[in-house]
Amino acid sequence: MLEMVLTTGFMHLTVGNLVMWLIAFFFIYLAISKRYEPLLLVPIGFGILIVNLPLTHLMEEGEGLLWRFYHYGLEWEVIPPLIFLGLGAMTDFGPMIANPKTLILGAGAQFGVYVAFFGALILGFNVQEACSIGIIGGADGPTTIYTTVHLAPHLLGATAIAAYSYMSLVPIIQPPIMRLLTTEKERRIVMRQLRPVSKKEKILFPLVTVLVICLIVPKSAPLMAMFMLGNLFKECGVVKRLSDASANELMNIVTIFLGTSVGATMSAGRFLKWDVIYVFIMGIVAFAFSTAAGILLAKFMNIFSREKMNPLIGSAGVSAVPMAARVSQLMGSKADPKNFLLMHAMGPNVAGVIGTVVAAGVFIALAG
Amino acid sequence: MIDWGLAVKIFYSGLSAVFSSLAILIGAIYAFGKILKIIEKKDQDYA
Repeated sequence: MLEMVLTTGFMHLTVGNLVMWLIAFFFIYLAISKRYEPLLLVPIGFGILIVNLPLTHLMEEGEGLLWRFYHYGLEWEVIPPLIFLGLGAMTDFGPMIANPKTLILGAGAQFGVYVAFFGALILGFNVQEACSIGIIGGADGPTTIYTTVHLAPHLLGATAIAAYSYMSLVPIIQPPIMRLLTTEKERRIVMRQLRPVSKKEKILFPLVTVLVICLIVPKSAPLMAMFMLGNLFKECGVVKRLSDASANELMNIVTIFLGTSVGATMSAGRFLKWDVIYVFIMGIVAFAFSTAAGILLAKFMNIFSREKMNPLIGSAGVSAVPMAARVSQLMGSKADPKNFLLMHAMGPNVAGVIGTVVAAGVFIALAG
Repeated sequence: MIDWGLAVKIFYSGLSAVFSSLAILIGAIYAFGKILKIIEKKDQDYA
């Protein structure tokens, strides 16, 4: 009888396991009750729960089921590019093509990435770890995961959770910064309606972008190429089945593997460390600086521009599509109910995704 | 020991890559927009 009891998981539970269960339940609660990124937090939370069950060996190298998901999905760099394929099939670059200046805002919002990068270095992380922490400021989950797997896989759980948590908290993090850095008058700036973008322009965009970006930063190719392929599926109009599959079925399937794989990296031994707290602190620093930089850059561009843009759209440069653009819209309509900024903010929003992928490509090229 | 030389290199290479690639993209968008307009105008003239 005693022998049988000893073979159960109960006898091997540690305090760390119990703490991780609580964290898992908290994520699942946030996802179900508060609807914070439920598509990811449910599988991540469940992954955390099961990887912290003693004797299951789910993450045992070469044997465990979750290890296989992690190894073939993330270490082999399969899942993040597939997520980007789906994102591309769901993204409309029309607002950005109609007003290309907004691409600069997407670049400016990468500033926070480098603030967090240096902050992490000062806190004692090495260069590879600092790159993985800094990229959280891009507010792009798959890019954060891709970079971390390349440079600091032991931080994967922390950086992924930080990125997705802060992405879901964009409506709470950004508004105070937006109010602080803009005047009431600036928030009321009404922007001219965007011109219609032709189908030909939309088809040419992914082709040109993949050439330009992948030639400048070849290491960004896995993410950028898939992103643009997905967008080409969407815009060309002749492969609806592929476009639908990328945006729906494939996206949903890889999200399951992504979530459980990330959760599976969060065993008590790996996650309950001071480093993880620092990752979360630097993550929010990165987010705040990226938001601020986007707004300040929009104000700076207004100095030289005849046609003023509402600086609230600058904060949307932090990717987090489309949440950040929605926050710009909300803040703009609060200042003036007739103000409609959503489509204008979608420009820097999708440009932010491209900017973050480029930043990640440089990190991997130089620190990898 | 932090390699500050590498860190600074990553910083300026990263920011310049982000800005230059997006600036080139802006140029490309304006350029192909113009070319498409010219082609469309020519098509209309022929029609």
